[in-house]
Amino acid sequence: MNINHLHSGEFAVITGFTEDINTDSRLLEMGLLPGSVIRMIKQAPFGGPIELKIKDYYLSLRVEDSAKIIVKKKT
Amino acid sequence: MKSSQSLSKEWIALTGNPNTGKTAIFNLLTGLNQKVSNYPGITVERKVGEIHLPNKKNIQILDLPGSYSLTPKSYDEQLVSEEILSWVNSDEKPSLILSIVDVSNLTRNLYFTSQLLDLGIPVIVVLNMMDQIQGNNLPISPDQLKKNLSAAAVIPISALKKKGIDKLKDNILYQLENPNISEQEDLPFEMTGIHRSAIRPLFLFFKDKMDFPPRLAWGQALRVSCRKGGLNISELDIYNDKTLDKEKWKELTEIHYQVQQNLKDKSVDLLALEPQLRYRWIAGIVNKTEETEVAELRYETRSERVDRVITHKVAGPFIFIGILYLIFQSVFSWSVLPMDWVNSIVEQFGNWVRLILPPHLIRDLIVEGVIGGVGAVLVFIPQIIFLVFFLVILEDSGYMARTAFMLDRIMIKLGLHGKSILPLMTGYACAIPGIMATRTIDSWKERLVTMLILPLMSCSARLPVYALMIGAFVPSAKVFGIFDAQGMMLVVMYFLGTVTALFLAVLFSRWIKIEGNSTFIMEMPPYRVPLFRSVFRQVYLRVKQFVNDAGKIILVVSVILWALASFPKTDGTQDIKSSYAGKIGKTIEPVIRPLGFDWKIGISLLTSFAAREVMVSTLATIYNVEADDDLIKLTDRLKKDINLETKEPTYSLLTGISIMVFFVFAAQCMATFAVVRRETNTWKWPFFMIFYMTGLAYIMSFIVYQGGIYFGMG
Repeated sequence: MNINHLHSGEFAVITGFTEDINTDSRLLEMGLLPGSVIRMIKQAPFGGPIELKIKDYYLSLRVEDSAKIIVKKKT
Repeated sequence: MKSSQSLSKEWIALTGNPNTGKTAIFNLLTGLNQKVSNYPGITVERKVGEIHLPNKKNIQILDLPGSYSLTPKSYDEQLVSEEILSWVNSDEKPSLILSIVDVSNLTRNLYFTSQLLDLGIPVIVVLNMMDQIQGNNLPISPDQLKKNLSAAAVIPISALKKKGIDKLKDNILYQLENPNISEQEDLPFEMTGIHRSAIRPLFLFFKDKMDFPPRLAWGQALRVSCRKGGLNISELDIYNDKTLDKEKWKELTEIHYQVQQNLKDKSVDLLALEPQLRYRWIAGIVNKTEETEVAELRYETRSERVDRVITHKVAGPFIFIGILYLIFQSVFSWSVLPMDWVNSIVEQFGNWVRLILPPHLIRDLIVEGVIGGVGAVLVFIPQIIFLVFFLVILEDSGYMARTAFMLDRIMIKLGLHGKSILPLMTGYACAIPGIMATRTIDSWKERLVTMLILPLMSCSARLPVYALMIGAFVPSAKVFGIFDAQGMMLVVMYFLGTVTALFLAVLFSRWIKIEGNSTFIMEMPPYRVPLFRSVFRQVYLRVKQFVNDAGKIILVVSVILWALASFPKTDGTQDIKSSYAGKIGKTIEPVIRPLGFDWKIGISLLTSFAAREVMVSTLATIYNVEADDDLIKLTDRLKKDINLETKEPTYSLLTGISIMVFFVFAAQCMATFAVVRRETNTWKWPFFMIFYMTGLAYIMSFIVYQGGIYFGMG
């Protein structure tokens, strides 16, 4: 599953990325690394970006980008 | 970045992630000792200030835009990377780097700091926002952090509470007097033998061919290995200075390609290599474990709770509309009273000057041209204060990031980007800072489209024109029983500009073929109560800018115009039509006649190319020269202007609307196009903008005026 499959409030561990992830490494530099834990916050109105919490801060990503981050739900 | 503001021999640099309070610290350190205004980007790209050190000496400090990494993602970050990497092996490098770190977001902030530590320049890590963490509950003591990072110093401060600033200054002085350049030969974190041997060719290139110190050579080797595909254009710009000619660049790209192949063969996840190594090192330093990580994640900040309402799927957009309404309300109705005050002050001042000066040509020039012209524009200070005040509050509080988040999807459909909203709204104040603000949009195509449509957002320089026309021709009556007709007309003009801008965005983004993927990766900063001193400062700078521009341009234009309108003085008769100005106006009249404009409007259109607001002072000057009685308001003069041939009023409501529509679209601000030229690096786009805006202005005014006459409005 990817990040977009998570519901509000759910925790997940990043396990990897799809092959077609964008050619820059900004997502990883922001701390979205394999092994990192995230908490899903919400999706913006009008089907806009998603917001998640990673480390000590909140990050928003377009769903097209977040779809490329593969996660495993954490219970 | 090199060309502008030069620095003295010894200076220090201020860096850090966005949203760390860098600007507040810059202002606290420099106090009133800023050499330049920090109005973003009009004349300076570099913000330089001066710190008074405890030994009574001054040191210059360069403020760099906020950045997350040396690998840039947007244009403003690219400028930062270029600047920082230009320091290597250069005489022009800072003696000291201040790396500002948000202590409530330590791990992520230390990522950029760890890249800066590779440079071999002493780094003071400034832990800001100490007020945000309860009971000094740091995961690590500043002393321990200093040791683990091998930083020059770690200084905890709170810019909000103004705590720790003196200690920081003391330390800056200490570091300058006792320079402690770390001679580390290697990166501070473990790299496996496989990784190390794979990137070694790049390391050798940086070390031997580019004379980088060893640790930096390793750091850069690691950094450029971490991407899919070849080195990209922005990388090329960073290294492409005199130290790297074409041949070397070719060599570097070849080595880079081989290193990547090599890493791929060992099935190393290229993208993750540098972030993984650095974050692992940082986690060790700040004692992070998975347990502490999950506990942090579980914690709901106050901002998160506030956002349940502010960015709520349904409530959020309505709140945004409400805020927009509030801003326009303040600009259009709350500012009426203070505007009257300014108006009466200017009038009284003019009358006073008239009394104390002897009747002479020069008196006429001063009272009619200068005071009249400048005064006509100073009236708009209250509106500018309100507008800039609200925009600064929205930005500093963190709300603008929420609008980007909420409206990104809509903006994509329009060919724009969530981050286009801030520049576009800034455009209501002035297009130039708006265009500068597009630098944060990380896709070039969307950034370009934003710049192309931005001047259609009605800026504050158009207000004087709208206000004059509305005051003269729109009756103060109620529409549908509730809306004031004059206020409505103003809103219609703003609406016309904005809606056309968004429509053109769709058109332009279909038409402009630029490849490149667009992403949206944005930190949602915590809500913060805007610092009063910072808000005040920005409002002050904006008003100062406005008054300066108005003062200088209007002064010059008014004097020239007054001369053109007053001479030649033919045999005592004061017929302005036979003056130079009249002749010029009459020459262009045939072109603008179909829009309902006569020669007087024609002259004002010409002068308004210097700045839109000059239009008002031009009309004021012309009428003042024409009629020697001076106590009639400009709006009344427009109303009472009689066409001598037809004996009917020269101007009507329809003329007024046509003039306003022309000003909504016309390309009249040369400074804007100069900035677009610099930002796009070609004259193609500014010329395109001048062309489409002028065409649109003419066609729309034509439709309005001729259509109005057809329907019997004339």
